[in-house]
Amino acid sequence: MSRQVVAENVPHARARAMAGNRPELDLGTPGAEPGIAAEPALHVVDLTKSFRSGFARREIRGIEGVSFTVARGEVFALLGHNGAGKTTTIGCLLDLVRPERGEVKLLGRDHRDRVSRARVGYLPERPYFFDYLTGRELLEFYADLQDIDRRERTGRIDEVLRQVDMFSDAGRRLNKYSKGMLQRLGLAQALLGDPDLLILDEPMSGLDPMGRLEVRSLLLGLKKQGRTILLSSHIVPDVEQLADAVGILRDGRLVLNQRLGSLADACSYRVRAGAPAATVLAAAVPLWAMSAVDPASAGAVTDLSAADPRQLRELLEACDRAGLAVLAVDSQRSGLEDLFLTTHRRGGEA
Amino acid sequence: MTRNHVIALARGTFLETVRDRVFYLVAVFGFIMMGSTTILSPLTIGAQGKIVSDVGLAAMTLLGLLVVVFVGSGMVHKELDKGTITTILSRPVGRREYLLGKFLGLNLTMAAMLAVMSVLFLLMLLLSPGAFSLRFGIAFYMAFIELSLITAIVVFFSTCVSPVLSAVFTLGAFVAGHLSESIRDFGHLQQGPVAQAVGTVVYYLLPNLEVFNVRGSIVHGDPVTAAHIGLATLYAVCWSTLLLLLSGAVFSRRELRG
Repeated sequence: MSRQVVAENVPHARARAMAGNRPELDLGTPGAEPGIAAEPALHVVDLTKSFRSGFARREIRGIEGVSFTVARGEVFALLGHNGAGKTTTIGCLLDLVRPERGEVKLLGRDHRDRVSRARVGYLPERPYFFDYLTGRELLEFYADLQDIDRRERTGRIDEVLRQVDMFSDAGRRLNKYSKGMLQRLGLAQALLGDPDLLILDEPMSGLDPMGRLEVRSLLLGLKKQGRTILLSSHIVPDVEQLADAVGILRDGRLVLNQRLGSLADACSYRVRAGAPAATVLAAAVPLWAMSAVDPASAGAVTDLSAADPRQLRELLEACDRAGLAVLAVDSQRSGLEDLFLTTHRRGGEA
Repeated sequence: MTRNHVIALARGTFLETVRDRVFYLVAVFGFIMMGSTTILSPLTIGAQGKIVSDVGLAAMTLLGLLVVVFVGSGMVHKELDKGTITTILSRPVGRREYLLGKFLGLNLTMAAMLAVMSVLFLLMLLLSPGAFSLRFGIAFYMAFIELSLITAIVVFFSTCVSPVLSAVFTLGAFVAGHLSESIRDFGHLQQGPVAQAVGTVVYYLLPNLEVFNVRGSIVHGDPVTAAHIGLATLYAVCWSTLLLLLSGAVFSRRELRG
């Protein structure tokens, strides 16, 4: 049975969903509270949280000094190993966990203000819901909590069920659902209030490749709609395809906060040259260019490397001076995975 | 506090608990009623109706207690453990609303179960000549408000201790609550002010659940005044409100790690 994710074709239901009596945030509508629309979707400053554990109440650091900003319409990914502090950060944003220090503004409002959460959709890691309700009953339950107008409710529920391809299974009880189905229903409940900000904790965790593909397509569709998404993950390729910016968490600290656009510009280069004797090569080219040269190899060619365009120019000039034949020059894009591993390796050495 | 949120939470709790095979206990009640009729009745010539009604009313309260304690003690904890609560409280829903919704939902479940057992009970009494009386409605109502107070106790404990401890403490409160007058009287019989003070403190710290016990009076035809019913209701409402306020205060400070 094939499944088709139709996120791209979903009509924008914001106006209809807002017809209810939900507390609204300023979305740039006339007469709205000034200033809020211009605010970023999420602004986090110096968030710090530690936990007490065990009989001796030993202090365990959750997160420390985490700061980042997510602009409206942006997809921001929190990357990190298990236990790096991703879920704690998200818990603090939603006022589920009380930070010791720091400030969080959700859609321009203090996160402790309940109203700030009216336009936020949240999917926890490994979502678990009431076993004995059907999928539709569960969404009706969340629609009530979200204050979605009763006249709009059925239509909105149908819409999100179709969006996550769960419409035909909505009448079954949740204890009959597979893990992937629960994950998709979790996404449906997060989308139900037509949120301005989606917070997704490991949205692809535990899914098979097909399930991951479906969820990724769905999230790409939401991104195209201009939704602001904060997602946490430890699966780098998923993040690379979805995110505009990434924050890397290690041991509770945000060690890197970078836009992926700037990462795409970063390239390294490989210069394939005719191979002279090793002593000639060492005298002819800078030492940094030989980092990838295998001293044991005795082929007809040798691969030299340059980290940036400046080094490439310098290396090509050196080859020219030494009379080395340059056979090829390749550019190699530094991926997010490299960055992630480098950041963690650097942390491990520190 | 938003009424719609509380109603939604109560409805969700009711549906979830009712479908979780809680009503199998009604079948147990049926067996107890039939057992008391067939086994005890021949031993009590002339008082079969009283025996059946006494056993039936006690069984209703005890089975209601089992539902409240075993569903209630794990209810909040299960949602905390599985993370369901995070999808609820990440919405514009307050923690006090959440607890009130859970309390009312569990009350609904318990009331539905009591209603079904009451019907069964009255049907059984119809088989015992002269035992049927509409005054049993008072006993059903008093059992309901007593169990409602027990629900508030279990909600309170479920916000601060593990499900096992919550169940143990609630059952302990039920037993001690029925003995609180005896504990006070026992303290007053002791020599020395300390024992008397302890007896008095225990009496005032625990809800006196004997005020809801009108089973004997109903079965034996003794009067139960409207004033007593009214005061017992007020007593239950005051205690439940106090316990829910305390639960809210504890739960508001709790970390909900997703």
